[in-house]
Amino acid sequence: MLQIKDLKAGIEDNQILKGINLEVKAGEIHAIMGPNGSGKSTLSAVIAGNEDYEVEGGNITFNGKDLLELDPEERAHNGVFLSFQYPVEIPGISVSNFIKTSITEKRKAQGLEPILTKDLLKMMREKMELLSIKQGYLSRNMNEGFSGGEKKRNEIFQMAMLEPKLAILDETDSGLDIDALRIVANGVNKLRSEDNATVIITHYQRLLDYIVPDFVHVLYNGRIVKSGGAELAHELEEKGYDWVTKEEDKKWA
Amino acid sequence: MGLIENLKSYSEGVQISTEKKELFTSFMSKGFPTTKDEEWKYTSLKKIVTKDYNIENTGEIIDSSTVEKYSLGFDNRIIFSDGKLIGSPNIKGVSVNGFSNFGSNTTDSILQLNKALAQNGFTISVDKNTVLESPIEILFFSTTENNFSQYRNLISVGDNTEVKFVERIQALNDSTSMVNNFTQINCAKNTKVEYNKIQNNTPESRLIDTVNVYQEQDSTCEINTLIFGGSFTRNNLNFEQNGSNCESNMNGISILDDNQLADNHTFVDHKSAHCRSNEMYKGVYLGHSKGVFNGKIMVRPDAQKIDAFQSNNNLLLSDNSTIDSKPQLEIYADDVKCSHGCTIGQLDENALFYMRSRGIGIEEAKAVLTYAFASEAIENISVEEVKLLAQKLLAHKLNVDLDFSL
Repeated sequence: MLQIKDLKAGIEDNQILKGINLEVKAGEIHAIMGPNGSGKSTLSAVIAGNEDYEVEGGNITFNGKDLLELDPEERAHNGVFLSFQYPVEIPGISVSNFIKTSITEKRKAQGLEPILTKDLLKMMREKMELLSIKQGYLSRNMNEGFSGGEKKRNEIFQMAMLEPKLAILDETDSGLDIDALRIVANGVNKLRSEDNATVIITHYQRLLDYIVPDFVHVLYNGRIVKSGGAELAHELEEKGYDWVTKEEDKKWA
Repeated sequence: MGLIENLKSYSEGVQISTEKKELFTSFMSKGFPTTKDEEWKYTSLKKIVTKDYNIENTGEIIDSSTVEKYSLGFDNRIIFSDGKLIGSPNIKGVSVNGFSNFGSNTTDSILQLNKALAQNGFTISVDKNTVLESPIEILFFSTTENNFSQYRNLISVGDNTEVKFVERIQALNDSTSMVNNFTQINCAKNTKVEYNKIQNNTPESRLIDTVNVYQEQDSTCEINTLIFGGSFTRNNLNFEQNGSNCESNMNGISILDDNQLADNHTFVDHKSAHCRSNEMYKGVYLGHSKGVFNGKIMVRPDAQKIDAFQSNNNLLLSDNSTIDSKPQLEIYADDVKCSHGCTIGQLDENALFYMRSRGIGIEEAKAVLTYAFASEAIENISVEEVKLLAQKLLAHKLNVDLDFSL
């Protein structure tokens, strides 16, 4: 589904990603872990198409398409979804209208008729139940005055509504209390299928107790320095990032 | 010729009192304000007043379907057609009459002109302890081609009353029209008044609109100004707080395109202690449009513990649009809280990326963000029908497809 080859990217003259290689297949869950500043958020921003970052080399293909050639909205239409580490507040637009606009735009790009309001509301109710979201939430302004947990839950709600093929969850667990974490993880697990894939970007191992990944990668200094199965996350939790970073620092010293 | 000449010949043919003659003479000696006048520095009347207007109304009778087209459908409606009062509601506790010759001291030439020659308008007086659930809707229609009309309106609300108004000035043909509208609102003790102005007139219409509000203690008055149409709009809102614990609120949106101009001048005179004022004006400028905002807040020496807030935020969405924004704070008391903020900018890049990442195309994302930006100023409107109309007009003008049933 997703192939990243020797991806190099940065902001202005500062190269952050120094050659990333990653392959994600349908049905898989990958976790990308790493210390602060290793390039985790940059990777997710580049996949989603944030124009603040400049791609200096390498390529990304998504279901055979050259992802780097597409605008952010086209990537979304093709099934890429990024759950933001810091979701943006948009006062003046209700959650329901925001989601309706996203779905309408996506359907328009796919040559489909706009979704009927009653079908939309039905779908919203189902997904709200899945994520234990209370009534009244839909008419609130997008992320405005939301707590950290509510914002993250709103990201997963949008994910559930947009049904992406590839979801990248950028630090979705940070700032969540244990109950919210369980709800979010439960949502992600229930939305999992043979056709879609999830990339979880996280600093901590905690979320991976609830969403068990097929692969774990350690990102450090702009490169994936170690890959393994779910057990790698536990090993990292035990030994700390120093365990891999020291070795890596020696190599590049 | 021009408007001044039109007015001169009109004045010679009407019988008016000596006092009014003097006011008219005073107006004629000063003429309309020019950009040399500090209060009109950014807004020129020149092009508007050099045109010819019909001062006398010779209009046609309007039918009920026309009224319904522009009305929001409230039960209580005051309807004017070419200055004639053609509809007046019967409301318990409220007396509604036509024009009354009420006085007001003014050195402003436009208000002097209004006082001297206006012969139309409404007079509303609300009895003490009256609470009206449904707003009073006021519709001013004009059918005469190229007409210049003046209205002079008085609202007096008794103690402990609560009342809302919705006003619309509408020309029924596409010729050039101009209106000089003046409304005085007297808010007695412990009253709550909300006045909504829907300014969405024809593309060739011009409006100068002045509201003077006199507030006594414990009164709250809110004026919402929604500018969508008209080629030229000048609003003067003046609040005078004459008792403690008064609150004066103003919300405004201007969504302008083509060569439209809208100028909002506000003035809050804090004369008493423990009062508040809040104003939020939002402007979106497309095409060659021009916006002006001038917000003056005066805090008199005895007016301690004042909390005054003013904001004017603008989005310039074309290279040819302009905004002149001027906050003016004069504070003579020492224990007050006054804040003001004025921004002129473009859309938030982070929010744009966020929306695009959810599949919303860049044009739609910009339109939705612009909608979101402006709609903050209409959220406080308590009359749902007005709020919905404003949301729809806003979405329509920005080409945003939003579902208001959601």
